[in-house]
Amino acid sequence: MFLGPACLLLGTAILAVRPAVAGGAESSSERAKRILRTVDDLWRGQSSHGILLMQVQTAHYIRSMRMEGWSKGKDLSLVRILEPLKEKGTSTLKSGTSIYTYLPQTDRTIRLTSGMMMGSWMGSHFTNDDLVKESRLGEDYDPSITFEGDRNGQSVLEFTLMPKPQAAVVWGKVVITVRAQDYIPVNSLYFDEDMALVRTMNFSTVKEMGGRRIPTVLRVVPEDKPGEYTELVYEQMSFNLDLDDAFFSLAELRRK
Amino acid sequence: MKILFLAASNVGRNRQRTLVTIGALAFAGFIMLFYASLIEGFLQTIEHTAVGMDLGEIQIHQYAYRENPDLYQRIEYPDDLIQKLEAAGLSASPRLYGFGLAASGSASAGVGLRGIDLQREPAVTQIHRHVMLGEWLEDADPEGVVIGRKLARTLGANIGDEVVIVTQAADGSLANRLYHVRGILKSIGEGLDRSAVFMTDRSFRELMVLSEGAHEIAVVRRDTALDLQSATERAVRAAPGLEVMNWRQLQPVLATLIDISGVSLMFMILITYTAVGMVTLNAMLMSVFERIHEFGVMKAIGVSPGQVIALIFTEVMIQTTAAGGLALALGLPVSLYYQRHGIDLSGWTGTGTIMGVAIEPVWYCRVTPSTVFTPVVFLFIVAALAVVYPAVKAAVIRPVEAIHYR
Repeated sequence: MFLGPACLLLGTAILAVRPAVAGGAESSSERAKRILRTVDDLWRGQSSHGILLMQVQTAHYIRSMRMEGWSKGKDLSLVRILEPLKEKGTSTLKSGTSIYTYLPQTDRTIRLTSGMMMGSWMGSHFTNDDLVKESRLGEDYDPSITFEGDRNGQSVLEFTLMPKPQAAVVWGKVVITVRAQDYIPVNSLYFDEDMALVRTMNFSTVKEMGGRRIPTVLRVVPEDKPGEYTELVYEQMSFNLDLDDAFFSLAELRRK
Repeated sequence: MKILFLAASNVGRNRQRTLVTIGALAFAGFIMLFYASLIEGFLQTIEHTAVGMDLGEIQIHQYAYRENPDLYQRIEYPDDLIQKLEAAGLSASPRLYGFGLAASGSASAGVGLRGIDLQREPAVTQIHRHVMLGEWLEDADPEGVVIGRKLARTLGANIGDEVVIVTQAADGSLANRLYHVRGILKSIGEGLDRSAVFMTDRSFRELMVLSEGAHEIAVVRRDTALDLQSATERAVRAAPGLEVMNWRQLQPVLATLIDISGVSLMFMILITYTAVGMVTLNAMLMSVFERIHEFGVMKAIGVSPGQVIALIFTEVMIQTTAAGGLALALGLPVSLYYQRHGIDLSGWTGTGTIMGVAIEPVWYCRVTPSTVFTPVVFLFIVAALAVVYPAVKAAVIRPVEAIHYR
């Protein structure tokens, strides 16, 4: 979710870490993990369903798409395009590290090859790789709390995630800021190996949805392309539905 | 004339030695003549495949395109530019490039899409003649695509099979369309073989939602007498504000390889000829030593040292001329034979690639004036150098000592 077309697209990931041992003195790292897990749980639930609007602004085009998505755990998610008409029915299934796309115009399902992983997902500023890798953030990075206090008039906590030594990762560093009182995320910053900021994700417009208070607007701004962004607006969300694993299958992907 | 007569009869005196010397020189000349045409054939094949099938001699792009080949880095008015290039004595063809995914059955592969102007491309490359199976593109068959041979294998696609191409169109939408394999290309180069999907430029524009422009203008000289550098300068003048590069600049490694191969040919000539030079040196030295008495007499009756040197030089030149003639008589027909038929190496190796350029397992010779004359001219130079020492040796003989030499 740090990233995320969150719950929906990414199957909500965040830090999938073991629960901290209750009681006793809590180390800084354990505290960081515990809080991030809470942030994660905010979006996660066992499963989720929602409708969102994705708006993409680039130097060459402006796109607006409405989509419906379902997720279960952090490995399964299914997203189906509702609008525009030209792409209606186009669906993406994420199952573990594989991504399948169903194309209604040609009635074909394709599995994305590794060569396409760095390509844009649906013309947005998300790569296909984001969809797969996001859920691994907790496995590949070590978090620590690097700031605690007031910033821009609100009390926040800042986490810095550094890649584990052996992990094959895309980011050199990820910095996540959450509100101190309710752990609702404010933004996350993605740095490359040279520690240069690559993109920023801002979370805003906190609303009650599906029985939870969540930020309903998420805007991704790439640093190297001024003026461009991708914005996700959650229009409806519900959590903890009864979804069978079979729902996230290739057969379901093709269902119109 | 007297010297020539004398030299000729001297050459005839020790037939065995003369034959060995001529034989060694002729053999070396023959080998080098054949080798030079082989190398030339090899280099021309590489150049022809890389330039004549794919690159074209000169390419024009937006400055940022080669660094970052995205869909939006287009030359805006390709038709105007092509007209200007044609007015400058060049032929040109616009090309469109994109990336995507091709899927056939359950197999899929990342592909490079190429939109081809079917009217103009044949003036620039011969790729339309390089189809292994099926046929080249046709405007009347917009759904037909021609793909690289390794891609065909990866996709398990045969002629007539359906292929879905998925890509991000210029408007950001997920473009996907069904095509059929119309042709499969012969091997051209690693990149093309593995990932190229050729389609008509109209199909490309429809798929990519791209109405105007071209990513690349490929250019060739209409008149091959014009050298590449001047042609490049003409193209630069025709395309202000655009990046113009010839194939030597685009593929510097390939260009260097070709240049180095020329140098390596000279090295081979040097090594081989040094060896036969030694043989010649040895033979002439012996012939001089055998005739010390005779040279003494010649000097005594008033033959000058210069005339002695001229005599020995002439003897060697007679032999070299015979050897050169022999080398030509043997080497030329053999090279010409293999220029036509090629040497089939398919038992030894399959289709390989060098610097990403496909090399067919049939190796053709290529006979040019330079491959014929370079070995022969060098043969004379080496023989002339080899004989300096024996000739000087004979020239400085003192008549009195030499006459008594036994």
